[in-house]
Amino acid sequence: MTTADPILLPAAFADLAPLAARWARPTENERNAVRYAATAGEFAAFHEALLPRLDALLTYLRDCPPHPEDPAQQNALMLACAYAEAAPHHELYGGSSEVPFSFDARRFVADHGDEALSG
Amino acid sequence: MQEIIATLDHIRRSVPQIREELGVDPIPVGAIRDPAVYELEKERIFKKVWLKVATAWELPNPGDYKVKELPVADTSILIVRAKDGRIRAYHNVCTHRGNKVVPNKGFETFGRARANVVTCRFHGWVFSTDGALKSVPMEDAFGHLDKACLGLREIACDEWEGFVFVNFDLEPAQSLRDYLGDFATLFGGYPYRESTTAFRYSTVLKCNWKVALYAFSEGYHVPTIHAGSLPGFRGIEHSDFKLIGPHASSTIYGAGMDTAPSTGIFAGVLHGSDSHAPRPDLLPADINPKRRGDFQFELPNIFPNLLIHLASGCGYPGLSYFTHQFWPLDHGTTLWEGINYFRPAANAAEYAAQVHINALHRNAWLEDTATMEDTFTGIMSGAIDDMQLMDQEFLIRHAALTLNSYLAGDTQ
Repeated sequence: MTTADPILLPAAFADLAPLAARWARPTENERNAVRYAATAGEFAAFHEALLPRLDALLTYLRDCPPHPEDPAQQNALMLACAYAEAAPHHELYGGSSEVPFSFDARRFVADHGDEALSG
Repeated sequence: MQEIIATLDHIRRSVPQIREELGVDPIPVGAIRDPAVYELEKERIFKKVWLKVATAWELPNPGDYKVKELPVADTSILIVRAKDGRIRAYHNVCTHRGNKVVPNKGFETFGRARANVVTCRFHGWVFSTDGALKSVPMEDAFGHLDKACLGLREIACDEWEGFVFVNFDLEPAQSLRDYLGDFATLFGGYPYRESTTAFRYSTVLKCNWKVALYAFSEGYHVPTIHAGSLPGFRGIEHSDFKLIGPHASSTIYGAGMDTAPSTGIFAGVLHGSDSHAPRPDLLPADINPKRRGDFQFELPNIFPNLLIHLASGCGYPGLSYFTHQFWPLDHGTTLWEGINYFRPAANAAEYAAQVHINALHRNAWLEDTATMEDTFTGIMSGAIDDMQLMDQEFLIRHAALTLNSYLAGDTQ
């Protein structure tokens, strides 16, 4: 697991540092824990801030290795992955932190759940 | 235009043919409800037929091993790539006094046999990855010990397209290839081994294994169960039915759905990449032979407990294929394993996009699994004696009839 500072982002995305501090985590299990505790308002704010920047963020990440070593790249990837997993809660699930009418997500075990995104 | 040469017309069935061949009567739920049936299933099915237990790409190097706990076969198995490159399977049982040679954590444990040997932690007996007993501490103190007869107890093991199967029968009635039959042709030739990025989920469900298997074996539930994760869904066509001995298959075509804005952007990353774009041309010739543009995935049931949904990027963006497996732990408890397979991401943008698609699909699985414990409770209540099955549920009907045939001893 990486201990990279979550507020260090590439310069073009430096203004997203507060959102990164709130959402970006290196592992799926840690991102799940953040998501389970989030409110509808927080999902909405994350979505409204990230969606207009998503194209630019992914364009930046296109030049990064899939599991980067560089801390700023790592944090940008963590932020993108956090949004990748959080967006459906705003766009599809009405702001609920759970998938509606679903099995208890905490009972799903992800083999990769504790693997960090770093290289 | 690509010329498609389909060769498996004899396995195709129309709806009238399916009804004629399999019937339309309700199917009794006794095989799900009765604990005695589970004991028969263990002996007549799970200890007799070929079972997928690993993939070759999980064990890329000599010495790589996987321990898999299989209560349905009353054993723990050690699957290992030996020094000669071949994958072999053994009972994970020391021939000294029966201890586990390789200790495990949970249902699956991975490791590497250093110097191509594994050593039992109890008394230090050392076994080669080819099974032979190599050394025994204080061997002279045994008086007589025939090491040549004390290798690890081997289990029949073979590969198809990189999927590793075992058969617990000491003398399997059929080779793996013969057991798979036309299924191996129908699904053969796709480059499964190139899709090595796997997101694997598992959970223990309080239901009989067939309840979980059946829930994933039809498309009838999609518009209702997945109303949350598939918004604006414009319907599916579940057709191209195929019967293949104990196995069966079918095709899911889709009329599309509303794409959320974030999904549109993430999908664009994958669709814009040669590695992850839809590749209908890679599908085996008999799957979607007309190469319809609305193809989503092929949905088979490989008896008794494996589904391989082959999409080639045509359904969920970038998703090459996904598998489900249903391992009974006892009559009323099942280990479900679901794995999404992608080709490796070339950059961090592709990886983030895969994380998004994986999350959408995992969430759909959370919707699927929500029904299973309730269904089992309902069946155990005794309130119903039969399942009512419609045409799109023919995989269930076929699996139930195949199961009955094996339990009755009509099938080897």
